[in-house]
Amino acid sequence: MISTSDRRYTRRDTLLFLLCLGLSLFGLFSPVTWAHGVADTLRGTVLSPLVWLQARAEEGRTSRVRFRQVTSQRDSTAYLSQFLPSLRAENERLRQLLRLSRRLNSGYVSAEVLHQPQAMDGRTLLLSAGSRQGVAVFNPVVAPEGLIGMVSSVSGKSSVAMSWAHPEFRVSAFTVSGNAFGVVAPSNEGRNGEGALEFRGVPYRDSVPLGTLVLSSGLGGVFPKGIPVGTVIGTVREEAGWERVYRLRPAANPGSAAHVLVLVGTPQGRDLAGAFPSDSLLEAGRLDSIARLRRADSVVQAARAARAARRDSLTRASPIQGGAPTSPIQGGTSSGPAPALKDSAP
Amino acid sequence: MSSNRVSRAQLLLVMLLLVVLQFYVRPRLWDARISPDFLLIALMLFAMRSSPGVAALAGFAVGLIADTLTPARFGAGALAHTLVGYLASWGRAVFFADNMLVNAGFVAAGLWLRDFIVLMASGTNHRQMLTELTLYSPLQALTTAGFALIVLITFRSMFSVRLDA
Repeated sequence: MISTSDRRYTRRDTLLFLLCLGLSLFGLFSPVTWAHGVADTLRGTVLSPLVWLQARAEEGRTSRVRFRQVTSQRDSTAYLSQFLPSLRAENERLRQLLRLSRRLNSGYVSAEVLHQPQAMDGRTLLLSAGSRQGVAVFNPVVAPEGLIGMVSSVSGKSSVAMSWAHPEFRVSAFTVSGNAFGVVAPSNEGRNGEGALEFRGVPYRDSVPLGTLVLSSGLGGVFPKGIPVGTVIGTVREEAGWERVYRLRPAANPGSAAHVLVLVGTPQGRDLAGAFPSDSLLEAGRLDSIARLRRADSVVQAARAARAARRDSLTRASPIQGGAPTSPIQGGTSSGPAPALKDSAP
Repeated sequence: MSSNRVSRAQLLLVMLLLVVLQFYVRPRLWDARISPDFLLIALMLFAMRSSPGVAALAGFAVGLIADTLTPARFGAGALAHTLVGYLASWGRAVFFADNMLVNAGFVAAGLWLRDFIVLMASGTNHRQMLTELTLYSPLQALTTAGFALIVLITFRSMFSVRLDA
C-alpha cells in the first residue's frame, strides 16, 4: 500500500510530467512564428552563453580545417613549382622544334628520344619513330639547335641514331663564311666531362676565328647542307704546318635532347641554313663581319706602312738631289709625296 | 555542510562539465551524427537518480535547449527528452540501475528512443527514418554509451548519490 507522502510524491511527478508533456505538445503544434519567436528569445537570453561557446568551437574547428587546406595548397604549390622550370624548358624546346619544322620545308618525322640509364647514352639514341613512320637508315637527326646525328638502324616502331658523340661519326663541314672546309669528328679530349667536336683537315692557310659557326657542307650525300654542327672555341693542334684542327662546341646536345626531328626525303643540295637562324648563327655572322673589318684594317695598315717606307727611301735620296730633308712624321702627315718624286719611285 | 550536499554539488559540476563538452568539444569531434551526445548522458545520469517528475522537467529543459539550437521541428526535442527522462527515472525502479553497464545500456536505449520520437514527431519520411534508426542512431548510441561508461568510472563516488532520497 502506498503511503500518503508517496502518493503525494507520485502525484507531483505525474503533474510535472503532464505539464512538461503539455508544453512540449503545445510547442510542437503551435504556429511556426510563435515557435521561432520563443527559440530566438531563448537563444538571445538564457542560451546565449551556450551559443557563444558553440560558435567558438565551430570557429576553432573551421580555422583548423582552413589551416589544413591552406597548408595542403601551399605544399601542392611548392611541389608543382619544382617542375615548373623543367616544364618551361621542355615547352620552349617543343616550340623551337615546331618553328624548325615549319622552316624546314622538307619531309621530317618527329620522334622522342628514349634515354637509357646507361653511361653510353648519348652516343647512340633510341628514337620512338621507325620505318612505319618513314624513317630510314642514314636519315639525319636534328634538334632546334643543330645536328644531333644520323639514323644507324631502323625497326618498325623505333630506330637507333648515332649521335655526333659516337667515335665513328663524321660529317663534312664548312665555316659559315665559306672560307674553310673540313671534316667534323668527335674529340677524344673532352673538357670537364663534356663532349666536344674537332674540325679537322682545315688547310693551314685558312685561319678560322673563334666563334665561327661550322655547318654541314652537304658533301657525302648524308647530311643536307647548312645544319649547324658547332662553334669554333679553340685550336687543338697544327699538323706540321699544313693542317689545323679546331675544337668545336657542339650546337646540339644529344644527352639532353628529348624531342628531335628525323629529316626524310630532303633533296640533295638543298641548303637548310635558313631553317636554323639561331643566336649563334647571328653571333657568328657578327664575328665574321668583325673579322672582315679587321682583315680590311690590316690591308690598310700594310698599305700605309708601304707608303711610309717608300717615303723614307725618297727622303734618304733627296739630299743627293739637293732637296731639303723631310722628317718621316711630316711626310706621314702630309697629303702625299710630290708627283715628280712619285714617278721616281722604283 | 553535509557529505550529501557536497556530493550533489560535485554531481552538478559533472553535469556542467558535460554541458561544456556538448557545446565546446562536440563540434570539434568527428561526424556530428555519430559523436556522443553529452547532454543526453547528463540527462540520463540525472534522471536515473531523480524522481520521475524532476526527471521529466530536466528532460523538458534539455529538449528545449535542443529545439532552440537545432533547426528541427520546435517541440519535438522537448517531447522526446521529457518522455525519455521520465521513463529513465521509472526504469531505474524496474532494472538494477546501480550497475554501470546497465547505466550505459540505459543511455544507449534512451538515445535511440529519443531519436525515434524526434523523427516521428518531426514527420520524417520512412526511408530516412529507417536509415537514421538502423545506422546512425545505433552508432551514436554506442559512442554515447561508451562515453557514459567512462564518466561513470571516472566519477564513480559522485554517482552513488541518490538525489531523490
